[in-house]
Amino acid sequence: MSLYGTAPGGRSSNYEYVIARVRSRRASLFDDDDYRKLVRMGTSGIARFMEETEYETEMNALGARYSGSDLVEYALNRNLAKHFDDLLKWSEGALYDYIARYLRKFDAWNVKTVIRGLYSGADLADVEDDFIRAGEFTERRLDALRNAGSIEEVVTQLDDTVFGDALAEAYEAYEEQNVLVPLENAIDRAFYETLLEGLPSNPEPDSATGLYVQFLRAEVDFRNLRNALRLARSGADTDPAAYYIDGGKLFDRQSLARLTGNMDNLVAAVRESTYGDDLDAALSDLEDAGSLVEFERALDAALLEYADKLSTRYPLSVCPVLSYVLAKEREVDNIRAIARGREADLGPEAIEQELVIL
Amino acid sequence: MIETIAPVVNAVLQEGSAAPAIPPAAAAALAVGLAALGSGYAERGIGAAAVGAIAEDDSMFGRGLILTVLPETLVILALVVVFILG
Repeated sequence: MSLYGTAPGGRSSNYEYVIARVRSRRASLFDDDDYRKLVRMGTSGIARFMEETEYETEMNALGARYSGSDLVEYALNRNLAKHFDDLLKWSEGALYDYIARYLRKFDAWNVKTVIRGLYSGADLADVEDDFIRAGEFTERRLDALRNAGSIEEVVTQLDDTVFGDALAEAYEAYEEQNVLVPLENAIDRAFYETLLEGLPSNPEPDSATGLYVQFLRAEVDFRNLRNALRLARSGADTDPAAYYIDGGKLFDRQSLARLTGNMDNLVAAVRESTYGDDLDAALSDLEDAGSLVEFERALDAALLEYADKLSTRYPLSVCPVLSYVLAKEREVDNIRAIARGREADLGPEAIEQELVIL
Repeated sequence: MIETIAPVVNAVLQEGSAAPAIPPAAAAALAVGLAALGSGYAERGIGAAAVGAIAEDDSMFGRGLILTVLPETLVILALVVVFILG
């Protein structure tokens, strides 16, 4: 039965249950009015506001150790981890696999945090606070990673995960140059490449799997586009193919390398692609003002909108869950931007520009 | 092969017309059973979604309950058949 696709384990997915819960949570995220209020508050005001919402437990748990925007940030991370862990706890069968694939993003984040901590010699408690415990890694594995004495030890510990091979390869480059970039790139690429691995490359366009693949492709495309734009803007003499992630449909390796050389060609190519309609306004802005920050906001908003569209077109699929995951991430990013912005004494208008609001 | 099957089928049909393989009462019972099976399958999905909604928001209990038992009307309609035949 295609509606309730079964996983290799044979358990069927419980889309109805998970999606009812997810939709309810999606509806209770902060809306425009809340953001408008938050933007005009001081950091302590934001903290107080958050104590009265969704984030109460986390704010109280961390309130004794931190204050100001650090408190807000750590509370946000913990809340995010709690919600995404819930998603994995609820879901069964193929749905679990789909969600876990996407949430591996946070495993990648945690590994990067550990490596950066070791590189900069940060103390263990700081590294632990920066963890977002939302991915597939167990508590025990994360603790083992945190207690690792060297980056080499981290690489060996991750041997049996999706990051294993890529990290081992990048470790040699790291030893030669003593910079973190190759390691971090390896982690990101390992994540994005396993994202689409094992999924049918050409599924029925309107099935649940089809939409899932379509969404992941959009994500990979936008990531490639972002990298390409950054490279084109900075004019850096780097080989764009080195940053290319397989699996998208917007670029292939050659066309990306060709287009990155010229900003106008790149914009024209995107305008003619399937994303042209969604990104039209943002592309015009980019051509006029050339502000990359605003364009990246627009990309985030477009991806969010795209996920929403998919989730209404096929309600009994993984799409509503993904749309929630994205919306929650944006909310956390937005609140963090507000808290940090207020701390740095930015005006409400300046902060509002930084927010991704649909 | 088809030529040999045809007379057999004919014979069965002629015999069947005399006494139906499934008498009316049994057919009505089957109808109720199948309707219950169908509504059970429908309630499976609705019930799962309703429990999910109630877990997030207690005030959904009444609405969730009503929506969950809506397919039960199928069984009630199938029951009508029993009374018509009986």
